[in-house]
Amino acid sequence: MADVNNALSPHGGKLVDRVMEPEKGRKKAKEAKIKLPIDGSRATEIMSIAYGFFSPLEGFMGSKDVDSVCKDMRLQSGYIWSIPIVFDISEEEIKEKKIKVGDSILLTYQGQPFAVLELAEIFSYDKTLMAEKVYSTKDEKHPGVKRTYAYKDRFLGGKVTLINPPRINPPFDKYWYPPKVLRQKIAELGWKRVVAHQTRNVPHTGHEWLMKGAWFASNADAVLVSCVVGEKRAGDYIDEAIVLTHEALRKSGYFREGTHLTSILLWDMRYAGPREAVFHAIVRKNLGCTHHMFGRDHAGVGTYYSPYAAHEIFSQIPDLGIGSVLTLEWWYCPVCGEVTYSGLCGHEKEQQAFSGTLIRSIIQDGVKPPRLIFRPEVFDLVMESGDKYGFGSPFVAGEYLAKRNPVITVPPMEV
Amino acid sequence: MAQTFPINIWINEERLDKLQRAGLAHLAQEVFAGLKKLPVPTNEEQRDTILRRFPTAKYDSATTKSIELLPRDIKDRIFTLVVEKKTLNVIDAFLAST
Repeated sequence: MADVNNALSPHGGKLVDRVMEPEKGRKKAKEAKIKLPIDGSRATEIMSIAYGFFSPLEGFMGSKDVDSVCKDMRLQSGYIWSIPIVFDISEEEIKEKKIKVGDSILLTYQGQPFAVLELAEIFSYDKTLMAEKVYSTKDEKHPGVKRTYAYKDRFLGGKVTLINPPRINPPFDKYWYPPKVLRQKIAELGWKRVVAHQTRNVPHTGHEWLMKGAWFASNADAVLVSCVVGEKRAGDYIDEAIVLTHEALRKSGYFREGTHLTSILLWDMRYAGPREAVFHAIVRKNLGCTHHMFGRDHAGVGTYYSPYAAHEIFSQIPDLGIGSVLTLEWWYCPVCGEVTYSGLCGHEKEQQAFSGTLIRSIIQDGVKPPRLIFRPEVFDLVMESGDKYGFGSPFVAGEYLAKRNPVITVPPMEV
Repeated sequence: MAQTFPINIWINEERLDKLQRAGLAHLAQEVFAGLKKLPVPTNEEQRDTILRRFPTAKYDSATTKSIELLPRDIKDRIFTLVVEKKTLNVIDAFLAST
């Protein structure tokens, strides 16, 4: 395996850009002989590849990369990569569409031409092995393992080109910063040090102080809030509430203007714990961040990973060129009379820990949480978002999943 | 003493009024500088049964060690049992009635 510099920013040294002007895209679409519809998860992964979020990936992984990522957490090129990015397909579909290596395949989404896959390989991979290596468990109750087992039996590997860039719909459009755009914005703002905060939650003050603590710890100019927008589980906050409330922290003055920016990452969480932490670090480095904050249970689920597994993994891999800000939790202390850092507060017996789950439970009971743990502006916006986007609830339920406004819309393209 | 896993029932004005009228306001604990909760204890077996019966509920193993996100109407039923029986030990009765 090649000895490479994993500290290069972007990862691999070059920001991938595989987004084609629609006019050229139409021409490329015409050349493709096979059409294949894709789902939303696949569509957003293609966007993440094409816009460079996943640099140095230029497409869906082939068998050697998948094997190397699963077993060694590296691409064949030698660059660290922790999560397989794969295109699964059934043998029946391959036969029905007469798909073969060397084909250009037109991928359609929402009934429109979307991307072209240059097929380099058709392969199989042991899904149990993939699950065990990536998630450190074979338990199908783990959502990432469940996703892996649900893959069809064959995989397509090859480069992808986005030929018909979709529209990002409100309210997400304001927060869509592909790496090239965000890097330009960071330069314009004169930010030299930017610390990323990964989230899929409406912020309580514990989150707010995690961000502020990371800002102090990294001597940063600003915090980039990178909200994961993707597959939802019942009971999660709706995506709209998450992005809008994070921006509300700045609008309401809890972060000064010029020190805080909210953005989105289109990604279905895998809950891969430490491996997902590595993935997050790489993606946020590609966005132009110099640091990434990792708290307790980063990207974990249930009790599959130790609470600080994501802290430990960074000492086991080469320098990724993005500083890790490793932080403990913040809790409310009635003796101190404030939300304070668990690593400093000496009132362990009196402390009152709180979590996103606890706050959701309070709201669900029809109670307004006190401002010390949940900002009133955030609470008001959560409820407003529920009315406006969530069919009366800020929490994901069946109606939201079935009828929500799509995050992206692919414009019509005649081929 | 065996470990217990509380179901936190968060106290709004309506629930507080009912607790006060039943003479049970002292059962509510003040937390987070201004919030009241009624921690209804469960043992391990009861906890697991509740999590199985109500899939939206979650045991927050990482932070609070409590059962959260039970549907509000279910919490209302547990709360009503507490008020009727004037005790927090109502989970057996609750499970028997569901």
